[in-house]
Amino acid sequence: MAIFNSPFFEIDKSETKRYAGLRKSDFDEKLIDEACDLARLIIHPTGNWEIYDYDDKTQTIASTPPFHIEGESIKKHLMGCDKVVLLAATVGQEIEDKITSLFKEGKYALSLILDAAATSAVEQNADLMEKAIFEKISRQGYKMKWRFSPGYGDWPIEQQPEMIRTSKAETIGVHLTESLMLEPRKSITAIIGLYIIEESCTNEAEKHNCEACDKTHCLARK
Amino acid sequence: MIHIFDGAMGTILQQKGLLPPGYCPELLNIDKPEEITAVHQQYIDAGSTIVETNTFGASPLKLAHYNLSDRAREINIAAVKAARVAAGDKAKIAGSMGPTGKFIKPLGDLDFEDAFENYKVQAAALAEGGADYILIETSIDLQEMRAALLAAKEVTNLPVICQLSYSEDGRTVTGTDPQTAAITLDAMGADIIGINCSLGPEQLVPIVKILSENTEKPISVQPNAGLPQLVNGKTTFPMGPEDFGKWAPKLVQAGATYVGGCCGTSPAHIGAIKEALKDVEEPKFKPLRRRLMLASRSKTVVVDKELPTVLIGERINPTGRKKLAAEIKDGSFLSVKKEAMDQVKAGAKLLDVNMGVGGIDQAKAMKKAITEISQLTDAPLVIDTSDPEVLEAGLRAYPGRALINSVSAEKERLRTFIPLAIKYGAAILCLPLTDDGIPQTAEERIKVMDIIINEAKKAGLKDGDFLLDGLVMTVAADQYACGHVLDTLRFYREKYGYPSTMGLSNISFGLPNRPLINSTFFAMCLAAGLDAPIMNPYDEQMQNALMASMALLGKDPNGKDFSTNEKNLSVPKKAAVAKEVDLTPLEAVKQAVIDGNADAMPELIERALADNIDPNELTEKALTAAMNDIGVDFGAGRVFLPQVLLSAEAMRSAFNILKAKYPAKEGEGKGTVVLATVKGDVHDLGKNIVGALLENSGFNLIDLGKDVPAEEIVATAIKNDADIVGLCALMTTTMTEIDEVIRQLKESGNTSKVIVGGAALTQDYADEAGADYYAQDAVIALNIANDIISK
Repeated sequence: MAIFNSPFFEIDKSETKRYAGLRKSDFDEKLIDEACDLARLIIHPTGNWEIYDYDDKTQTIASTPPFHIEGESIKKHLMGCDKVVLLAATVGQEIEDKITSLFKEGKYALSLILDAAATSAVEQNADLMEKAIFEKISRQGYKMKWRFSPGYGDWPIEQQPEMIRTSKAETIGVHLTESLMLEPRKSITAIIGLYIIEESCTNEAEKHNCEACDKTHCLARK
Repeated sequence: MIHIFDGAMGTILQQKGLLPPGYCPELLNIDKPEEITAVHQQYIDAGSTIVETNTFGASPLKLAHYNLSDRAREINIAAVKAARVAAGDKAKIAGSMGPTGKFIKPLGDLDFEDAFENYKVQAAALAEGGADYILIETSIDLQEMRAALLAAKEVTNLPVICQLSYSEDGRTVTGTDPQTAAITLDAMGADIIGINCSLGPEQLVPIVKILSENTEKPISVQPNAGLPQLVNGKTTFPMGPEDFGKWAPKLVQAGATYVGGCCGTSPAHIGAIKEALKDVEEPKFKPLRRRLMLASRSKTVVVDKELPTVLIGERINPTGRKKLAAEIKDGSFLSVKKEAMDQVKAGAKLLDVNMGVGGIDQAKAMKKAITEISQLTDAPLVIDTSDPEVLEAGLRAYPGRALINSVSAEKERLRTFIPLAIKYGAAILCLPLTDDGIPQTAEERIKVMDIIINEAKKAGLKDGDFLLDGLVMTVAADQYACGHVLDTLRFYREKYGYPSTMGLSNISFGLPNRPLINSTFFAMCLAAGLDAPIMNPYDEQMQNALMASMALLGKDPNGKDFSTNEKNLSVPKKAAVAKEVDLTPLEAVKQAVIDGNADAMPELIERALADNIDPNELTEKALTAAMNDIGVDFGAGRVFLPQVLLSAEAMRSAFNILKAKYPAKEGEGKGTVVLATVKGDVHDLGKNIVGALLENSGFNLIDLGKDVPAEEIVATAIKNDADIVGLCALMTTTMTEIDEVIRQLKESGNTSKVIVGGAALTQDYADEAGADYYAQDAVIALNIANDIISK
């Protein structure tokens, strides 16, 4: 439906630090700056989204052919939604290659932080896409749930091929390996539930937080 | 006069049951024109003085959804005719053109030229049908608006209304703020500039105000009836006619003279506007002081004598820079992009872009450079070329208001460049040069400048479109060169009041210690009124001269910025203390590892060895001990992974030095580890980190990489008599492969210990798979490996 290559000028440093597991620690800001600047030069942010009708009783997306979503957590998350957005986003392969080559050169820390910057960038990319989507759907009175990806909760990663198909991820060069991994590695697929607002219409989407996740010793946990 | 637009059309058609599912709303113009006329009639009866045609989605690209692209002309003409039946000569007709629904490159996959052709078809048909205005509306992207405006101007002579849609953060979806929209569209020749849709009247008042403060063109506004809600499965807008009407006088007060409604508004809402405005007078026209304003898609920069100096970064220029030229030639723009980012970081507010490389298609290169840089930074761009074709390629691609560098009084330049400035709404940098050469004195330069400005104004450029170049010559060749420039700058300001610019470094050509001459000259020029120097923003001496001049010239009141800049403090805020001074050589090495200071390592190792410390002792008591301390701190959450890796880098540096001096003997080292990310898994950063820690702690590491088949891991372990096999898998879909590797290892009779790890793994899983150890993180893996070897 819409290919969108987000224009953004800076990679979020605080998110990069979080993904690098640095949280509030006192760390050489120069290295963070260097990684974020380098990342900005070599990412190629792009994404695609498709909007479908959704039946929350049967957990079915009205694509052709239809896509039946499995899992209790996603079922609960999409309760009350009658449309869904299928989204795919990536920052491309070049940064992945650079992360690998830097590590080989012995620049371990820069490589790790560049990896975190790439994660931050792909999330920022998806956030900007969401903003563009919101503009479209809010006109029809819809509100958005936060984006949910296979692997969250009990949503099996085995549904990734269906996600790739319905989000038309291949139009932006994102595909799956045999073991269901996204390539380029810094890519995401996600679903966003659209629901009806009966009373007021504000852009206060329900917040996604780390507490919803069971990876309790995750480096980036807030 | 205050003009009143109509309200929503689609809602009424829907209520009348005229839009069955899958039916193209614009096809009604042909199938049931009397119904369309009836809606227009309702609005005219309610008080509309301008009605909008039922053509929002009638561009060929939009009609393609219904396979009706080839009927675009017919549909648009029919729409205007249906409107005319109701309007007669009582009301005007605005031919509506809505968005394509796609994003234009590089934001999306729609080519600018395809969008342009699309709107050309629609605008021509609307004009042919007899519309009084072209109305480009509900656009969320300035670039799409530019394509439609250029198209409308190319195929019609009708006044064009340009209405963007803003989100709640006051910007369009693609980031354009109202000031940027106003100055870009005004310069490109939009006749009326406005807003519609997305927000209610309350949210649009401040946006109308910003528009009116940045353009003298009339302002139009068509809000929704509040923010939408869905009730019983239908989208509704909460604001009734009375509430809606109350906002009309406030919108007029904010500067709008064209008022109407968008989604959720009805003839009753328009009636309420008419009623509310009946005693309201048209706001008096207030001329604005036209200042030089340039804009990227999302940011406006003002160059003006009352504002701080604006640096124009000169570094994106291949002249005399072989590497940059070669990159542009082979189509890799990495250095171009890097220069753009770095210059902005160094304080450049505008970026000059020059693609003057011989033997390439410069127009193509310029388009690419402009497109890529616009995705990377919001600094407005200066298109630097002497070729009109290259200039047009850059201007057309640029989603904002650019500056042209440069227009001289040379006849060919005037003839070719000024029309492009007008067409694309660019400002011009004026260079006092003629076909006969360079005028020497200030008086002569003013005469040439008069020619350029007169020609430009005759063609339609206005105050606010000019930046005047002081033209710097070499003082080594002309002793008065500096004086001529200073006089010229003063004359420019007195005579025209326009801002000035120039490249500075030419002044010192042929002299020694050029930086001193340049920075002194710079300070003099700033005092004489230079507003926007073209310079190398990385040049510290120039930046210092600028900072001091700003304080001296009152642009940095009381020298506040100057006083707080660390460069100017006699004692640096943070004195660098050399910690290792008080430490023994061994302690110093250990501390450097803990601090992750790889750079200090060669010197510290030398010092330790010179102190007759045995290399084994050094490894044991400094390096390994440091890593142990770090591991403890990491486990306790006192240091974090990147810090551990910096320490590993310091270890690596130390080991490399020691290895070079004392080549390892056979059988030395702690033990052999075979490490791999299992088959099917492409994530290897975590595994690499484990590898780095092991290798730099003295293990003999065989890293097989990622996506490694079980057979290869087992064979390698056997062949190298591995002490440890480390296996990594990130995902639930690939971790089962770990079971397989362990199974094959056991089957082969190999006795190496297996450590497993990865995001999806757990202790339970590791136990079930038959692994000897589970390592939750890299430091734990290292500790386990050390334990295994010491047993």
